[in-house]
Amino acid sequence: MRGIGNVCFWLAFTAVGLVCEMLIPRIDALICGFILLLQERNYRTLCWLLPLFVLLQEGLGSRTFGGSIVWYAVIFLLFRIGERFFNSGTFIFVFFLSAAFGAASYGLNVLMAPLQDLEIDVQQLIDSSLAQAIFLPLSWCVIKYLRLCLPAVFQPDPAKVENLHKSNA
Amino acid sequence: MSLRRILVIAGGLLILFLGMYSWNQSTRTLDDLSTDVGLEAAGAVLGPVRAAQDVLGGLWTRYVDLVAVREENEALKAQVTELETRLLANSEDLAELRRLRILLQVPVDNNWRPLGARVLCGQIGPNAVLDTITINRGYATGGRPGTPLLTNKGLIGRVLRASAHSASVLLMTDPGSRIAIYTQDSRAMGILHGNGAKRPLTVDFVPRDAGVRCGELLVTSGLDGFYPKGLPAARVVSVEPSNYSEFLAITAEPLVDLQHLEEVLLFEKTGQAPEVEENTASPSQFVGPPKPGKKSKK
Repeated sequence: MRGIGNVCFWLAFTAVGLVCEMLIPRIDALICGFILLLQERNYRTLCWLLPLFVLLQEGLGSRTFGGSIVWYAVIFLLFRIGERFFNSGTFIFVFFLSAAFGAASYGLNVLMAPLQDLEIDVQQLIDSSLAQAIFLPLSWCVIKYLRLCLPAVFQPDPAKVENLHKSNA
Repeated sequence: MSLRRILVIAGGLLILFLGMYSWNQSTRTLDDLSTDVGLEAAGAVLGPVRAAQDVLGGLWTRYVDLVAVREENEALKAQVTELETRLLANSEDLAELRRLRILLQVPVDNNWRPLGARVLCGQIGPNAVLDTITINRGYATGGRPGTPLLTNKGLIGRVLRASAHSASVLLMTDPGSRIAIYTQDSRAMGILHGNGAKRPLTVDFVPRDAGVRCGELLVTSGLDGFYPKGLPAARVVSVEPSNYSEFLAITAEPLVDLQHLEEVLLFEKTGQAPEVEENTASPSQFVGPPKPGKKSKK
C-alpha cells in the first residue's frame, strides 16, 4: 500500500512541478523532488522517476537531447560533495546547494550552447539562474513539510528514515 | 577512492555521453522519444490546467467584473457599423478581383487549411533556450513541424517540434528564425530575422534603392517554402543606409503581441495542388492588332 501511495505522491508532485514550470519560465521545478529522494536515499523511486524527469525536461525544451542528463549529474555530484561538509537534511545545506545550482545552471547553459550553435541571452540566463536558486529552498521546505503532513501511505518508510537519522548523527 | 580512479571514471562517462550525443545528433532517436513522451505528458497535464484557468478567468470577467461594459458595447456597435460599411464598399473590389483572376488564370493558393489552437504555455523547463510557446495541437492533429502560425493580426512563427497532441512553436523573435518577406508597397524582397524576445526584428538584404518607408507592412513572400505568400508579418520601424554593407539597415516590430498569446491559427498544408479554373469559352470579340494580309482601303 505504501508503494502505491509513494508512486501516486511522486506522480502528483511531477504534475504540480510542471504547472510551476508553466508559471515560472525556464526553471527546473522537479529538482526539489530529486534532492528529497537523495536525502531519503530512496534510490528505488529514483530509478524510475529520474528517467521520467529527464524525458519530460528534454521533451519540453528546445535543445538537443543530453542537457538534462548533465544537469542531473551535476546536481548529484554537488549533493555528494556538499554532504561531506553539512548535514544533508538541513535547510542551510539546501540553501548553499541552491546557490551552487544557480551557478551550475549558468555554467552549463554557456557550455552546452556552442554544441548546438545557439546564441545566448546573458541577461535572460542570469535571471533564470537566480530564479532557480531562489525557487529550490522554498519548494524544498514546502514539499518536505507537506509530505510529513500527508497520510502515512504517502510518507517515506519510517524504518529507512530512522536509519538515515542514525547515519546522519 | 583514489584520484586516478575518479578521473578514469569521469573520462569514461564523458566519452559515453559524447558518443550518445553524437549518435543522437545524427539519428534524432532520443530527441523524438523525449518529444513524444515529454511534450505529450506536459500537454496532458497543462491542457486541463489551462482549461480550468480559462473557466475561472471567464467567470470573473463575464459575471463579476462588468464595469464599463455598456460603454464598451456601444463603442463596439459603432465599430461594427463602420466595418459593415467598409465591407460593403470593398465587396465590389473583391468581385472584380475574382473576375480578373479567372480572366488571367492566376491560381488562388488554396492548399493551406486554417486550424485553431490554444496556447498552453510559454518557455517551460530549464532546456527552453529558444523563444518558444507550447500549443495543444501535434502532428496527429494538424501541428506538424514547419506548420506556420498566425493570429488575426499577423504572423507568429512556425512549429518546431511536435508530439501527437502538443507542439512547441518557434516565435519569429527568436534569433534563429528567418522568414522570406517583401515590403507591401515597394515590393522589395528581404529576410526577416529575430533578435530575441522584446527586441526589434531586423530585415536583411534589402537594396538601398528599394524605397522602403517607415510604417510599411512586411508580408511573407512564400519563397522559403515554410510560409504561404501574403501573410502580414511585421511593420517597418526604422530605415537607414547600413554603415557596413551595401544594403539598408531596417528594423521592424511584430504585428502581434507575442508575450500575451491565447489562441492561434495554424496553416496546415493540405497537399492539394492549386486549382486553375479553365476559361474554355472562346472570346466573343478579338481584341488586338489587325490580321496580316488585309490592307485598309482609303
